[in-house]
Amino acid sequence: MKRTLAILLLVLVCAASVSAEGSARLTIAYQYGLAYAPVVVAMQQGLIEKAYADAAGGELEIEWVQMSSGADINTGVMSGSVDVGFMGVGPALTGISKNVGYRIFSSLSGQEHGLMSSDPEIKSLSDIIGSGSQIALVNIGSIQHIILARALSLNGSDPHALDANLVAMKHPDGMNALLTGSLPLHLTTNPYIYRERETEGLYEIEELKSAWPKENSFIVGVAAIEMHDSEPELYAALCSGLSAAIEYVNGNIEATAELTSQYDGNAVEDEIRYLQMGNYSAETRGVEEMAAFMFENGFIEADPGSYADLVFDNVKGN
Amino acid sequence: MQKKPALRDLAEKLAFAAAVLALWEIVARAHVFGMRSEIIFPRLGTIAAAFVKNFVKGYAGVSLWTYLLNSMKLLLEGMGIGILLAFVFSGLSMVSRSFHNIYSLIVAVADLLPGVALLPVVIIIFGVNPGVIVFLVVHSVIWPMSRNLIDGFRSVPKIYVEAGKNLGLTGTGLLRRVYFPAAMSYIVSGLKVGWARAWRGLISAEMIFGIAAAPGIGMYINQMRTNMNNAEMYATLVVIVIIGLFVQYGILNPVEKNTVVKWGMRKL
Repeated sequence: MKRTLAILLLVLVCAASVSAEGSARLTIAYQYGLAYAPVVVAMQQGLIEKAYADAAGGELEIEWVQMSSGADINTGVMSGSVDVGFMGVGPALTGISKNVGYRIFSSLSGQEHGLMSSDPEIKSLSDIIGSGSQIALVNIGSIQHIILARALSLNGSDPHALDANLVAMKHPDGMNALLTGSLPLHLTTNPYIYRERETEGLYEIEELKSAWPKENSFIVGVAAIEMHDSEPELYAALCSGLSAAIEYVNGNIEATAELTSQYDGNAVEDEIRYLQMGNYSAETRGVEEMAAFMFENGFIEADPGSYADLVFDNVKGN
Repeated sequence: MQKKPALRDLAEKLAFAAAVLALWEIVARAHVFGMRSEIIFPRLGTIAAAFVKNFVKGYAGVSLWTYLLNSMKLLLEGMGIGILLAFVFSGLSMVSRSFHNIYSLIVAVADLLPGVALLPVVIIIFGVNPGVIVFLVVHSVIWPMSRNLIDGFRSVPKIYVEAGKNLGLTGTGLLRRVYFPAAMSYIVSGLKVGWARAWRGLISAEMIFGIAAAPGIGMYINQMRTNMNNAEMYATLVVIVIIGLFVQYGILNPVEKNTVVKWGMRKL
């Protein structure tokens, strides 16, 4: 009975969203954290709406949705309730290979990743291989897991050599577990990695730093192919509005920090430091390489194709 | 005499299940969710194929069986400990007034806390091992079970207890021969609620805290979701439902039938 009701409700919601079309509307999904700072700026300053008004002269209504994983956004795009999403390059490539119906329209940010150890005996990845030492990271198959596999592969080891050592938990839980000594290793990103680096008694495994440097795309924006094809003016406004937001972040770190710190509760001084350590750019880097690595190592089942299959025509980078 | 209504009950249930499945198939075929409806809302045939694939191929070379066995082991461990502790504490509550006072406060407070919200604290205390999941299962079983047991024991008519005492029963004998059978109806309800809570608690905990060396069914669901294998994810939900139905109809109902129904305390 509940399922029947749920289906009926979903049908109604779909019908309602179809009938509301006509005026320019856009649903944009993003996630939590400083890696999404330009999205927060674009939202607060109405940059995409402005770009649309300047180019097409019309009014654009944007609905912003904050979701907690790329998998959720993928489902949203597939059901047609989300037009644009921001997510890790991993889930984006999974979505493209699964034919979710979107492509990458912009890179958003690159962030540092690090593997921290509380055990002085563990200095390199080879110290972990074969031991039972557990590594906390956010999810099996997540971008962090893929970066670990890449570090292993660059090191000449089997990319899946540490799969049995993984423990999936959220970033803050992983940090707590590392700090309380529940497990010896935590693979994480901004801002947790900076806090852990500042903590005494923790060591960084250097090999991981270079496996996916911050110059490479970490968070990307994806847009529904249907929207790109049927509403070119809207798509153009999305791209120019977002690149204006990225420019703003790079040129006004302090003002951005004032804004984003209201959302994540960090002190403004910390926020400024964390923002400076990120790399915000619309140009993609390493996306094609990442796709090939994921396919070769079984993180995705279908070949996602070459760079031209992954991004829209206007996107620059590799 | 009993046979006919039982058959009718079964037929009703089957008809309802068939109707739900038919509706599912219609929605799936109608592509209600747009062009890519097939990926998010797969047809029954696709889900059935995924069901087989889960057990034959699994994820990264590990069959769903392995995940299932791990989960069941933790679940049984947690339920066993939870039920045992609930009996011990509820029994003590019958013996000591002050214990009852404090324990009922603990039950009232602890039952309100979702296990998953306790996860960060539990990890700090227990470390990172399957014990965390066992703890969360115990947490989801012990409070509702204790509530039912205490209510059950307290509702035993005084006259039964007096009769038992007259027959020379004291202490554990009284608990075992009088309180226990007289409160059986509450105990069975407690088991039903406890089982459902434990099963759900286990899966939600595994979905956000997954140890790759001892992967459970919640982690499997999460991996299928992350990889956009929705048919496989639905098929795993079907497995969960099948296990739930098996426990309900294969274990709990017979227990009920052979105790409270047989003793005339409740209709099935």
